Amino acid sequence: MFKKLSLVLLALTGCAIIIFGCSSKTGEKDGKVELVYWPSSNQQEIDLAEEVVKRWNESHPDVRLIMQPLPESRSGEEVLLAAIAGGTTPDVCSNIWPGVTGQFVEAGALVAVDQFEDFETFMEDRTPRELIESFRSPDGHIYQVPWKGNPIMMQYNTKLFRDAHIGSPPQTYSEFMSAAAKLTTDLDGDGQYDRWVADPNMRAEWRERLFDFYVFYIVASGGHTLLKDGQVDFDNREAVRVFQFWAEGYQKGYFPRVSFTGDAFLQGKVAVHITGPWNIAHTEKNKPEGFEYDIAPLPVPDEYQGSQVTYGDYKNIAIFGTTKYPQQAWEFVKFMLGTDNDLRLLEICDQLPLRKALLSDTTFQDYFRRNPMMEKFAALLPHTVGVDNSPYLQEVFEAISQEYEACCIYGRKDPQQAVRDAAIRSEKILRRK
Amino acid sequence: MEQRTPIQTEKEKGDRAGYLFVLPYIIFFLVFTAYPLIFSFILVFHRWNIVGPMQWIGLGNFATLLHDPLFWKSLWNTARFLIIHIPLQIAVALVLAEILNQHIRFRGFFRAAFFLPVVISGVVVTILWQQLYSTDTGLINLSLSKLGLSRVPWLTSTTLAMPSIAIMATWKNVGFYVVLFLAGLQSVPRNLYEVAELDGASKIQQFLKITIPVINPVVVLVVILSTINGFSLFIEPYVMTSGGPLNSTLSTFLYIYKEAFSFYKMGYAASMGFVLAAVILSVVLVQRKIVETDTYT
Repeated sequence: MFKKLSLVLLALTGCAIIIFGCSSKTGEKDGKVELVYWPSSNQQEIDLAEEVVKRWNESHPDVRLIMQPLPESRSGEEVLLAAIAGGTTPDVCSNIWPGVTGQFVEAGALVAVDQFEDFETFMEDRTPRELIESFRSPDGHIYQVPWKGNPIMMQYNTKLFRDAHIGSPPQTYSEFMSAAAKLTTDLDGDGQYDRWVADPNMRAEWRERLFDFYVFYIVASGGHTLLKDGQVDFDNREAVRVFQFWAEGYQKGYFPRVSFTGDAFLQGKVAVHITGPWNIAHTEKNKPEGFEYDIAPLPVPDEYQGSQVTYGDYKNIAIFGTTKYPQQAWEFVKFMLGTDNDLRLLEICDQLPLRKALLSDTTFQDYFRRNPMMEKFAALLPHTVGVDNSPYLQEVFEAISQEYEACCIYGRKDPQQAVRDAAIRSEKILRRK
Repeated sequence: MEQRTPIQTEKEKGDRAGYLFVLPYIIFFLVFTAYPLIFSFILVFHRWNIVGPMQWIGLGNFATLLHDPLFWKSLWNTARFLIIHIPLQIAVALVLAEILNQHIRFRGFFRAAFFLPVVISGVVVTILWQQLYSTDTGLINLSLSKLGLSRVPWLTSTTLAMPSIAIMATWKNVGFYVVLFLAGLQSVPRNLYEVAELDGASKIQQFLKITIPVINPVVVLVVILSTINGFSLFIEPYVMTSGGPLNSTLSTFLYIYKEAFSFYKMGYAASMGFVLAAVILSVVLVQRKIVETDTYT
């Protein structure tokens, strides 16, 4: 009996070691508070985080910060959800896409940052009020600290445009299609196109729709998002116009239905690339000799009368509920959002801090003088819109993605019907709550 | 009071050592098989998004599944894959095994070469084939262009994408089945061929009337293994097509993965997993009924 009991205990101990050995706990060590901070796992952000953490640790001897890059995965959201489920979340995490925070909030995983006494004053000094408000959750609290934004614009090959006798970047859908007709060419005379106007990602993954349908919908609607008061708000003329635009491009062969290897924009196989400021450093580093490019806003429907606006692709910072030291974590967040660190965010990562008067602030002027392309993105930053705060957002995007693929890429559906069907499916998803 | 004999004590020591030796496997089984299986079964009756509390919904997940056209489409896609993949795999593996069973030059090299893709990572092989299949820059289409033929949309056509994946999967796995068939072929008694030759049977007749019936148990094994592997179709569509175009390569495994880890519908994904397991079991039982026959041995 005793032996059997010993064996069972041994087995349970083994299991316990396996299960609990994997979790990481922080707290007090040698009388010091220890906090864990997860930045994104891309090298530039790791470099930035190392620098920020080093300076924090030097100036805050009582609160030691440990930096661990977000564990590698297909997406940071998956890692964070797994960490929430396992109770192994860090104290602070940066680079969180706002579209996923709805789920985190629903799970009670985040600290409401508006509970900190100086939240309002600190944030108002740094970030426009309406942007802060756009992150307010349905329960009235704010759970994410606005950090950086990436206005999505059009990068275009000026040499190809010049060769095709196109004087300026297209501003409307008609101008775009007319430019596309000139740029899409059969170069070797084999009867098939070898160069296209652009190569939007044709994979039917919800994420990809952020950079074709969604950004164009924001541009065409003057800044409307997909939902309003938790209800579908995209079953409208603007969404149909965007579907028509992409469908026409694919149908006329201006967008290739092919998979490229390598960077088709730098290889000169496509003339336009829809992207954010992060691509500038990549372009500068990898562009072939003689490659010329410029940045322009995305085209709007011909009848559009409103102001210029685009998708902001924001990434924020959150404090997780597992922290034992929310106040110290908040102090670190404020430190991270300081002017010096925002400058380093620009210099190391080529990403724009969500900060008021970025272009007129003397701290950043030298950087923008050295990086004129980044200045164009920064100029559009105040006119950006993010995503809705809903735990069902990804499913709504998936519903749109399915219809987009059927209608725009393969021409199997009429744009009006496709938008209607996506809206009906999304309504069902939202009703499920 | 009963006295313990030295033999009993030795036996108990042996028992204890045995338990200790199997303990790592028992722990592994409990943590990675039994626990997930039981947990998945509990999930079947719940709605759960990993981070929130579980919500009991009875048979709600199965009701959703019955009316989910994408689930049925994914099953049909998997069936399409199997219809192409299994016969192709058996035919190619059998022919290669028959050739490699002969006394040909560089036999060892060819046996190793055909087995090589089996040991290479599935993701690596898939990425390699994705490059080969690329419409614009793929080696296959460049060769076709050189011959004056049109480029083929291997992975972007709803008709061709799944057959393209099936061909790639056959290339990847065929080496394993060649080994199985080789073992089967080498177990066929030589005297059966000698007798058949004396009776005037041709090589093809010998193959059909002797080889195939004798290696029937291997054929059954290959059919069952490739069916089970085929139902697990995941890496290829995940990497190459993401289930597209128009969900034409969305396998059931990929759909389960998407529902579980893209949309965090754990209960629904678990329900699909159990239904898929039942489908695989039924298919394998039917296959055994059809393929398995008595052999000469």
